[in-house]
Amino acid sequence: MTPLTSSTLLRVPGESDESLETRQHALAKLADFAMPTGREEVWRYVDLDFDLEDFEVAVAAESIDERPPVPDSAGFALVVDGSVVAAESSDPNLTVGRATDRFESLIDPGQDIFTAAQAAHGAERVDVVVADGKAIESPIFIDVSASSEGASFPAVRIRVGKGSEATVALRLRSADDLPALVVPHVEGSLGDNSNLTVVVDQGWGRATRSIGQIVFSVGRDASLKTAEAGLGGALARWQLDIKLAGQGSNAKVVGAYFGDEEQILDYRYVMHHAAPNTHSEMFLKGAVEDEAGSVFTGMIRIDEIAQKTDAFQTNRNLILSDGASAQSVPNLEILANDVKCGHGSTVGQLDPEQRYYLMSRGLDRPSADRLQVRGFFEEALSRFPVPAIVEPLRGRFNEKFLRAQEEGRL
Amino acid sequence: MRNALVIKDLHASIGDLEILKGVDLEIPFGEVHALMGPNGSGKSTLSHVLMGKDDYTSSGSVLLDGEEIMGLGVDERARKGLFEAFQYPVEVPGVSLDDLVEEIGGAVGNGDFASRVAASTAQLGMGRFLKRPINEGLSGGEKKRSEMFQLALVQPKVAVLDEIDSGLDVDAVREVAGLVESSRSENLGVLVITHYSRILNYMKPDRIHVMIGGRIVRSGGREVADELEDTGYEALRAELGLVPVRDPLLDLP
Repeated sequence: MTPLTSSTLLRVPGESDESLETRQHALAKLADFAMPTGREEVWRYVDLDFDLEDFEVAVAAESIDERPPVPDSAGFALVVDGSVVAAESSDPNLTVGRATDRFESLIDPGQDIFTAAQAAHGAERVDVVVADGKAIESPIFIDVSASSEGASFPAVRIRVGKGSEATVALRLRSADDLPALVVPHVEGSLGDNSNLTVVVDQGWGRATRSIGQIVFSVGRDASLKTAEAGLGGALARWQLDIKLAGQGSNAKVVGAYFGDEEQILDYRYVMHHAAPNTHSEMFLKGAVEDEAGSVFTGMIRIDEIAQKTDAFQTNRNLILSDGASAQSVPNLEILANDVKCGHGSTVGQLDPEQRYYLMSRGLDRPSADRLQVRGFFEEALSRFPVPAIVEPLRGRFNEKFLRAQEEGRL
Repeated sequence: MRNALVIKDLHASIGDLEILKGVDLEIPFGEVHALMGPNGSGKSTLSHVLMGKDDYTSSGSVLLDGEEIMGLGVDERARKGLFEAFQYPVEVPGVSLDDLVEEIGGAVGNGDFASRVAASTAQLGMGRFLKRPINEGLSGGEKKRSEMFQLALVQPKVAVLDEIDSGLDVDAVREVAGLVESSRSENLGVLVITHYSRILNYMKPDRIHVMIGGRIVRSGGREVADELEDTGYEALRAELGLVPVRDPLLDLP
């Protein structure tokens, strides 16, 4: 394995001189970055208990023979330890491929040590391109996994043409005992009048840390829906930036997350209204038990030009154990004067009146609480856009709570 | 006649504030009794204390079909056959009535539970509410109907209907009264708690009790309600020499 800070980078198959050179420059810049200390505003709520320097670049253990079932998909891709091992499309209007060329990323590599490391070590990506004016009926499945110790840098880029429509389901996973570090980057651009739906199933193993970025740019009258279910990871952080760049564009962001044991789930979501008549809605619900911690930092930024913006963010948190903690930090930055904008943010516990009501119908306390927790998540899960993915997710949220009850942790 | 419910010398307080000051009441199986009283008399407290809500410190004896239930948890009392229809049925966001019905089936359902669900759903027109979150967005009347629906599924031995007529228009009151009457059974004793005598015009309670200041001060037949209708609670207080107690805490549900 190669140390992250080694002065040379290996060329990945198919990579051009130009691309390798760009990465070498990025690697040189990586040396300028140090691990966040917690004093930086964007890192203030999360305690990073590791050092990037202690990791080496992960090498895919072996080629994957077994492909996860992808029923009725228009295309799929498999990414293992950052390498794109399979990419296929069965729709002539859709390209799902492996790419290694240099490209202008929407994600600024100069943000921190992690974006800088991704710029240096993220040599290949999944490229999803939907031709103009085409609707891709079935979802595109992208399976991203970590299989060996070390750091990996998977990347996905989605481009949806003008007037087109597509749904991407992204699954992240690793074995429970794999102490990997993953820096996933997902970015997408939506052409004018297009529709893109992206559902993320964050199912990292319990020892895996993930510091991810999701960035979208939404064109005129285009519509973005994203949903994330956060269940896995020792530490799982998403920095989501959505830029409503075109007039009349809109975005809906949904999330459900559930941390237990010592999990840290950190969401830093920015909705940037950069054009007039844009609409956005964020709706996230999270629960924590045991010693888990969650953070939601939400920002609605409305540029001066973005008149007639309508924006709302909701974040509701449930603390199920005394040792768990949840923070909810909504922010508004409004430069336009003719906008509708608001937020709702709560951190609370199970409602004793609901419990009493349910128990008065004969349900024992564990059943009453289980029902209440299920209802809590249901309000978020029922807003998830792809029903086929939601049903198993529902089961996993329920099972997580049930397991905590059975193990006497609640 | 076998008693469904026997309450003896029941006291209850929140902190230092005593709300129930020795309640005695018997309801035989097959009968419907009404409990009337002004705001703050302790009516709702009585229903919560019977159900075992842990906001209260209580003492005394409550026999459900001859079995002492004081000291049992809320859910144990429910499974032994006590049902409380809430004055303010609680909304449970994200949980459909269907989900609750399934859980009720698991907790207290017996052999013919499924057919009971089907029959009560049809009889009460609950079909369109089953997929909706419990009590969310329901009108006052719909909430009470949902409570009566659950009562029918649970088949309790004792049903305490707390202010089952509050917040309802006259048609809804008539409907609920009809549901109470039709729930009459030789295996059930019912206590209807009400502030107004209005609902009693549409049903035939076997006995009417009046509670003032945490005690039952009068019990009798139809004439008790008629007298209250004419003279009001204040006159009864004066007649009994009771000092009006107007502690705002007592108005808590």
